[in-house]
Amino acid sequence: MSNMVDRNSSSETLSELAHCMSRVANERDKSAFAALFDHYAPQIRAFSLTRDPGADLVADELVQEVMTRVWLKADRYNKRLANLNTWIFTLARNCRIDYLRRNGRHISDIDPTYIFDTLEDNSSGPFQQAQQNRSEEGIRAGLKQLPREQAEILTQVFMEGKSHQKVSEELKLPLGTVKSRVRLALKKLEVLIER
Amino acid sequence: MIMRTLNKHPAYELLASYSAGSLPLSQALCVSAHLEHCHSCTRQLQQLNHVGSELMQELKPASLSSDLKTRLFDSLDSLDEAALNAMPETTTKQSDPSVPRCLQQFIVDNYADLAWKRVSTDIHSVELCRDANGAKVELLKIKPGGSASQHTHLGDEYTVILEGSFSDESGLYQQGDFIVKDSRDRHKPVATLDKPCICLAVTEGPIQFTGFFTRLLNPLLRRSYALKQLSQY
Repeated sequence: MSNMVDRNSSSETLSELAHCMSRVANERDKSAFAALFDHYAPQIRAFSLTRDPGADLVADELVQEVMTRVWLKADRYNKRLANLNTWIFTLARNCRIDYLRRNGRHISDIDPTYIFDTLEDNSSGPFQQAQQNRSEEGIRAGLKQLPREQAEILTQVFMEGKSHQKVSEELKLPLGTVKSRVRLALKKLEVLIER
Repeated sequence: MIMRTLNKHPAYELLASYSAGSLPLSQALCVSAHLEHCHSCTRQLQQLNHVGSELMQELKPASLSSDLKTRLFDSLDSLDEAALNAMPETTTKQSDPSVPRCLQQFIVDNYADLAWKRVSTDIHSVELCRDANGAKVELLKIKPGGSASQHTHLGDEYTVILEGSFSDESGLYQQGDFIVKDSRDRHKPVATLDKPCICLAVTEGPIQFTGFFTRLLNPLLRRSYALKQLSQY
């Protein structure tokens, strides 16, 4: 029962936030942007601190960069094509990639903008129509049921941004075990698509 | 003999790392080139992004200084002004539409105008760039019916077919197909007869020729690779 209430309120929050997005896009409404900031900035900050604990300045920079992009790219967001939470996640991920490239020990010749920005701009691309995907509620419920070691590995991959190699060194597990554990977790979440 | 199913897509866990943003950019280039051709992997990626988004919402929110918010809000009007004054993007030159968007940073016109170098009678190549981890990103062009010498790799090799098709010991690969070979795989790709085959190839270590004569080249290749690796530091 409490789950039910929780779920309803979270989808209500999401539609309110999506409404704020269109006010930002169409009216440059700063109070709507403030609502978005108050909701997402602490999440983005947590995302950064999960990878780099204690790096407060890096976290602030990421928040500033992501929220700036939200303000400037609000008109590119299309709620029929992407869930707002997911759009914000891809923005935060893209900003992290940019930051790591600029501050890495060795600079890559490859500009990630050409790789990843197409995905946040979901109005373009050959596969425009929204697909019937597993719902966010389904994934959320699935995450709660995962065995601890599988939930942990997803956090290490998605939030801490670790390569499989790094995870395998840290957990002292063979690389193949790490890969199959990631795959098993995704299978349990029922998000794998037959190819 | 064990028949393996031909795998023409990035593995699920590789796509997960792509979604998480933790793949080396050279590998991400290959995944991205594949995604432009593959509807099911594009859908799969959307699902994985969704997983990332749910995981982010489960983190304990970290509170911010009010200072950051004030500074950002003070800058909003000037951000809009700057965006208005920015050069319109429409004037930028368009690459040939057959070039995947992720490669347009290296290929401004089309494949034909690149500075191809002859590797053998059958193969031409052009290096596009190096990744931060030293991996080499290049295009290979195999002439119709032509073949690459049998080779293995010291590291992993990622290949995406951009045009044409080729076959090797495990089967036929066509436009958009994504292939990973590791150091245990030996293969000898042969392009099909109808047209040249152009591939995006990312190699993490020098290739090793396994033919009798070409084997003599290996020490040279290793040396040039080691020097290039050193020059990264």
